Amino acid sequence: MSAEEFRLLRDHVYAHCGILIREDMKFVMERRLWPRLEALGLPNFAAYHRFLRYDTRRNAELDSAVEALTTHETYFFREPVQLKAFTEEVLPLLQQRNAGTRRLRIWSAGCSTGEEAYTIAMLLKESRLFEGWEVEIYGTDISRRVLTTARKAEYGPSSLRATPPEMLSRYFISLGASKVRVRDDIRAWVSFGHLNLLDAESCLLVPRADVVFCRNVMIYFDVPARQRVLQVFSDKLVPGGYLMLGHSENLLNLGAAFELVHLRGDLVYRKPELSWKVER
Amino acid sequence: MTTDVPTLQEEERYRAVLGLDPAGAGTLESLISALHDESWRVRRAAAEAARRLPAPGEVALRLVSVLGERGETGARNAAAEALVGLGDVALGPLIRLLGHSDPDQRKFAADILGQLGRRGAENALIQALADPDLNVRVSAVEAVGRVGSEVGARALERLLKEEEPLLRLAVLEALTQLQWPPPLPVVVPLLAEGRLRRSAYRVLGLIPQVAATELISRGLGSELRSVREAALGALGTQASVADTPLRAEIDAQARTSLKRLPNAMEFVSQAFEAEDYYVRAGALVAAGALREPTLAVLVAEAAREDRLLREVIRTLSRLGAEAGRELLGRMAELSLPARAAAAQALLEMVDPSYVPALSALLEWAEDDLRAVAVKALGRTQSPDAVAPLVALLDEPALAGAAVRALGVLSGGCREAVIKALEAVMEQRPVPAAVAAYAHAGGTAALPTLRRLARDADPLLRAAALDAAVDVDPAVGLELARGALVDEAAPVRASGARVVGRVGDASAGSLLRRALQDEDIAVRLAAVEALGEIGAAERATDLEAMVRHPDGALAGRAVRALARMGTIRPEVLRQAARHSDAEVVKAALQAGAVSAEGVALAVEMLGHPGWDVRATAARVLGDAGGRESLEAVQAALASEQDALARRALSDAVERLSRR
Repeated sequence: MSAEEFRLLRDHVYAHCGILIREDMKFVMERRLWPRLEALGLPNFAAYHRFLRYDTRRNAELDSAVEALTTHETYFFREPVQLKAFTEEVLPLLQQRNAGTRRLRIWSAGCSTGEEAYTIAMLLKESRLFEGWEVEIYGTDISRRVLTTARKAEYGPSSLRATPPEMLSRYFISLGASKVRVRDDIRAWVSFGHLNLLDAESCLLVPRADVVFCRNVMIYFDVPARQRVLQVFSDKLVPGGYLMLGHSENLLNLGAAFELVHLRGDLVYRKPELSWKVER
Repeated sequence: MTTDVPTLQEEERYRAVLGLDPAGAGTLESLISALHDESWRVRRAAAEAARRLPAPGEVALRLVSVLGERGETGARNAAAEALVGLGDVALGPLIRLLGHSDPDQRKFAADILGQLGRRGAENALIQALADPDLNVRVSAVEAVGRVGSEVGARALERLLKEEEPLLRLAVLEALTQLQWPPPLPVVVPLLAEGRLRRSAYRVLGLIPQVAATELISRGLGSELRSVREAALGALGTQASVADTPLRAEIDAQARTSLKRLPNAMEFVSQAFEAEDYYVRAGALVAAGALREPTLAVLVAEAAREDRLLREVIRTLSRLGAEAGRELLGRMAELSLPARAAAAQALLEMVDPSYVPALSALLEWAEDDLRAVAVKALGRTQSPDAVAPLVALLDEPALAGAAVRALGVLSGGCREAVIKALEAVMEQRPVPAAVAAYAHAGGTAALPTLRRLARDADPLLRAAALDAAVDVDPAVGLELARGALVDEAAPVRASGARVVGRVGDASAGSLLRRALQDEDIAVRLAAVEALGEIGAAERATDLEAMVRHPDGALAGRAVRALARMGTIRPEVLRQAARHSDAEVVKAALQAGAVSAEGVALAVEMLGHPGWDVRATAARVLGDAGGRESLEAVQAALASEQDALARRALSDAVERLSRR
C-alpha cells in the first residue's frame, strides 16, 4: 500500500464514520483490508479505493472495510473489575432510582458480536434486583455483519474464555462441538440495531438510557469525533446516568459533560444530576 | 452514604458558565472568575468556553495573566488548558512569557508550549534550554521533544554532557520522542547509570549499527532483571528501525546471546507480560531468535497490540511448522487479533498435514480468517484440500479466494481438482466454479464453456465468457460478439471487457452501442475497453463522457483518451473542472506529458483537495520546467497537509536541479 493509497482510504473511512487510522497503522490497515481485495478480486488498494467510491456495492463494502479496521476483541464477562463494580454498586443505585417506573434501559454502543450486551443481561438476571421489571438492553454497532452474529447468539470457545463455569451452565445452552447459544430469556431482554455513532439522525432512534456501555470503541476516534460521540451519549443518558468506558480510556480533555465517580471498586463516569442530591 | 454528586450551588455555577453568551459584555471576566472556582467541573467548563470567545488575542493575554497567580493552582491549570485550546493565537504571548523574570512562569510557558505542539515555538524553546533555572530547562527539554525538528534534536543532544541527571534523563526521553539517535560514544557511559539506564537503552535502540546491537546483547545477559528488560526494549526499538541486512545481524546477535542464557525462555516468556510496549517488541525479536515453538501462543497474543502485528507475523513465521500446528490446534482459544496474526503466519508454514485443521477453521472462524484458511489450503498442495475448497465456490464472500486457491492447488494435484470441478459443472455450476474449471481444465474446458455461454442464467453466461477468453482469446472474442447484444447487463458488460482484453483498434465499432448502454456498468466497461484497444475513432464519444456527472465514467473516459494519446487541451481543462477530485487527478496525470498539462498542474496547486495538490506536485516534479519552481515553492510554504508537503518538497528538489 502506497502512502497515497493509505491516505485516500484513511480519509474515506474518516469521512464516513469519524474513525481515524493513525499514520503508524498503515501496515495494520494493509493487513486487515487485504482480504477484502482478495474477496473482490481487486489488484491493488487504488482499485479498492475506486471501488469504495464508485461501485454500486460501495455502501456494503464500506461497512465491511470499517468492520475489518475496527473489529475489536469481545468476549463474555470482559473487564471483570468494572463489571463487579457495575453489579455491586451501580445496579443497586439504579434499582433505587427507578423503583417508581420499574424500567431499566441500557445501551451497549459498539456491541460488536453481542457478547457485552448479553453479559449485561446475565448480570442483571443474576442480581435479582429487576425481577418483573421492564428491562431493555440495546446493542448497536456500525457493522451490519457483526449484528447478524449477535442476533444469532451462538458462540464458540474464544467468546467464552472468561465466562465463569456456573454462568456457562446457567445462561447458555450447549449446541455440541464447543458451540453454545444464549438462553432465550436472556435474549428476550436484548435487541440489536445498526448505528453509526457519528450519524446524529440515526442516533435519534436510540431511547434514553440509564447506562451506556461504550468500551474500547472510542479508541478508534480522533478528539473531535470523540467529542461528538460524547455529546450523543450525554443526550441519550438520563441525568445521573452512567457511562462505562474501557479501562484504557478516559475523558481527559474531552469536556465537562461527565463527572468522574469513585466507586469502591472502580472509577466510572456519570452525567451530572440536575439539582438534587442522591443518597446511596 | 453520600456520593460526590455536585451540590445545588455547584450545579448552578456550572450551568451559569455553560449559559454565558460568548459575545456578551463582561463574559471574559466572568470566565476568568470561573477559572478560580473550587469545582473542577466549573473550571473546565470555563476553560472550554474561553476558546469560543471573540477576540482570542485578548483572551490569550488575560489567560497568561492568570498563570502568574501563585497559590491558585486550579485556576492556573485551567488557564493553561484554555491556552492550549486557543491554538496559534496563544503562541506569541507564551513565547514572551518565556522571558519572564519569575522562573515558575517561564516553566509554565514551556510546559504549555510543549502541549500546544507548534513548530513556531521551537527557536524560543531552544533558547530556554540555557535558562538558569533547572526546572525551566527540564520543561524546555520536554517541550522541544514534542515540537522539535532536527535543529531542536541537535540542541538537545548537546545537553547529554551536562552534569545534572534529571536533565539528561529528560533529554534521553525527548530524543526518543523525536526518534533522534545521538552518537554511540555519547550513549555508552549513560548505560552504566542506574537512573538513566532504561532511557539510555531506548535511545541505544534508535542507533542502526551493529555496535549498538552488541551492547544491547550484552545487556540481555545481565544479572539484573531491570537491565535485561531495558536491553530487550532496545532490541525491540532497534528491530523496528533496522533495514533488512541489519535486521539479520540483530537476529543473529540476539540468538547467540540468548542461547548462552540458561533461563532465556523464562525471561522472554515473562517479558510478553510487560507493560512497556518496547519490551514486548523485544520479546518478539528474542522469541524469533530462540525459534522455540512453545512460545507460539504467547507470540500470537502479542498481536493484541496493533503496532506489533508486523513483528508478530514475522516471528511466528520464523518459529516453523511445529509452531504452526500448535497454533492451529489452539486457534479457538486465541483472542481475535492473535487468531488473525496466526492465520497470516500459517501461510508461510503450511504443509499437507494442516488440511484437517484448516478445514475445521472454515467451519467456525470469521470471514477474514476463513479467507486466509482458504489461501493456506491452496498452498498445502494436498488432494484432501480440493473438497473443502470446491464447497466454498457458491459462498459469495469466499468464492474468489477459493478460485485462486484451487488454481494454486491445480499446480500439484491437477487431476483431483479437475475431477471435482467437472462434477460441479454437471450438477450445479456457479460462476466461481466456471472460472476455476477453466483455469484448471484449459482448452479441454472449452466445450463446457461454450455450452454455458448459452445457459439460461445470465451470471453463468457472463462467467463462461470471462473464463473462455482466458483459455482461448479467439473463442472469447467470438462469444463476446453475441454477448454485446445479450438482454442481460452483466453479460453485455462482460462482452465489452472481453473486447478490451483481446480486441484490436478495429473492434471499436463493436463497442459503439455499449457506450450508450442503459446500464452504467456496461458503459464503464466499454469506455475502459476503448482505451485498451486504442480505438481513436471513438474519441469524440469519450470526450462527451468527460462531462458526465458520474465521476467514475468521466474519470475512466479521461484515462482512456490519455491511453489513446488523443486528449485535447480543452478536454483536459474540462476534466479539471469536474466536481469529483478523482477526475481532476486523472486529468493531471493524463496531461503530464504536455505543456498544457503542466500549466494545469500549476493551477491545481491551489485545489482544496490535498490529494489533488499532491498529484499536481508530482506531475510538476516529473514534467515541469524550472519556471514552475517558484509556484511550487510558494505552494510548499503554505501547505498544511503532511503528504502534500512531501510531494511538494520532492518537486522543489527535482525542479531545482533542472
